[in-house]
Amino acid sequence: MDGDDGFREFVLARQQSLMRTAYLLTGDAYLAEDLLQSVLAKVVGQWHKLSGDGNPEAYTRRALVNQYISWKRRPRPEVLSSNVPEHGASYDEVALDRIVLRGALAKLTPKQRAVIVLRFWEDLTEAQTAEVLRCSIGNVKSQCHHALARLRSLAPELGPMLSDPEIVEVTR
Amino acid sequence: MTRLRDALDDIAAEAPAVDLTRLVDAAITGRRRRRRAGWALAAAATAVVMGAASAAVVLPGQRGGEPAARPVLDLPDNRVGPLALAYMTPCDLDVVRKRFDCSMVEWRVVTSTGTTYRVPQALVRTAKERPAPMAVSRDGRMLAYYSREAQAHVVRDLVTGSETTSPVTVEEERIDIGSMLAVSDDGRHLLFDPREGSKKPGLLIDVRTGRTVPVPGTYEVVTIRDGVAELVRYRKTDLWLMPVTGGGKPVRFDGAFIMFSELAPDGRTVAAFHFPDTKKGKRPRSDLVKRRLSLLDTKTGRALRKVDIRGLPKDGSIFETTLWVNEKEVTLGFRGGKGEVATYAVDTTTGRARLLTRYPGSPRSVVLPGAAAG
Repeated sequence: MDGDDGFREFVLARQQSLMRTAYLLTGDAYLAEDLLQSVLAKVVGQWHKLSGDGNPEAYTRRALVNQYISWKRRPRPEVLSSNVPEHGASYDEVALDRIVLRGALAKLTPKQRAVIVLRFWEDLTEAQTAEVLRCSIGNVKSQCHHALARLRSLAPELGPMLSDPEIVEVTR
Repeated sequence: MTRLRDALDDIAAEAPAVDLTRLVDAAITGRRRRRRAGWALAAAATAVVMGAASAAVVLPGQRGGEPAARPVLDLPDNRVGPLALAYMTPCDLDVVRKRFDCSMVEWRVVTSTGTTYRVPQALVRTAKERPAPMAVSRDGRMLAYYSREAQAHVVRDLVTGSETTSPVTVEEERIDIGSMLAVSDDGRHLLFDPREGSKKPGLLIDVRTGRTVPVPGTYEVVTIRDGVAELVRYRKTDLWLMPVTGGGKPVRFDGAFIMFSELAPDGRTVAAFHFPDTKKGKRPRSDLVKRRLSLLDTKTGRALRKVDIRGLPKDGSIFETTLWVNEKEVTLGFRGGKGEVATYAVDTTTGRARLLTRYPGSPRSVVLPGAAAG
């Protein structure tokens, strides 16, 4: 198996998981695919090192998060669309959680959003999250605290969800 | 598992199922291209050191002064999302033969998220060296171009990835100087003008049924929207809102106007620039130079008002008026002094312009969504 085969096998084995992380970070299918494309271009360039004694999974995850944060720092021009905004409809409670959370996540800073995804979806520890974001554990704690507070203030209806004992424990 | 985790899981589950094979191949190809570019640079450097050559080295992804970003891939067969822009790459200057080499010119498209693809299946120049047009629908979803292989136009839906080849054969020789093309939002209708400003008749094509409606050659297409083709005869100036099935009649404006926008959301106003006639060999400054936009009533032909545009960069010029962003603002295409392209929304009540999108590099032959291109 040559290096390209190894890279191909690595990505294809984790494609759905990578796509889901990218989608959670960006909130948009096209942006998620673009994010993945630019990150894979970086990963393939480092593959000979990563496939030796490196950790390709951790490197790729870190590249995804950092590239996403870097993108969000750039000004995003308005894009014309002829699509009419969706009208309201009735949803069940779970669907409502999802819709409200998606809207609130979009208003977090890129780093806050990344912390939420890494801590509560990827289930990384504070130390692992700090490693991915290349910041201190204290910074992760603080970002997490502010992110949850901002979610509560943006969407008070998420209060019960964010007051779950496990989450309170995590942020203590 | 917490409710937060559940909700995040639900959002993640909305991510479309993907086959990353294409992205993996693209990443590998890109790395190989970058390596080759590195070798080319090294070879060029060696040649310069040895004093052996002075020929220019063209690196992949650096043609025409474009930013040397990611390698440009071919437009994939599956969905890529709506487009923000299409453009034709410029000819290379052959410094040895002192002439332009247009053999590598190609059509490229830029998605609304900023990814650029080349479209090798779209004809760029005919056998007689006439540029072949490309068109993008108003919402950026449909891409239309001429395929030499099919001897017909092709419409690609970039959101679903589906492709429709027009059942109407159009011989390549019909594409003449200044040929134009427009595509409707649903991709069903195309308007092909073989030669802008001539008496050669155009053709409105229903790519679903193959039905065609001839369009008098003296008219040029502005856009197709909601089953109506907006056509302009510039000399007079007449504007004809022609249903795609044919019919309707033109309205004549008082004076000559150029660069028409699509119909405003009110269903009757268009924006354009007054272009005064030459008098005694002198041409007065047009409103395009003065940056003064006219609002015209398509029901009566009356000029409603003029508005001075404020807030555009001093260097550069307006090259197009296109879509209405809302009831007040119309989009202008603007090329800056260094060739950079941007779109601005102009408030037609105050004249205030605000930047919508700035495109990287300085692309030529730009096609904006919703505008007839040629």
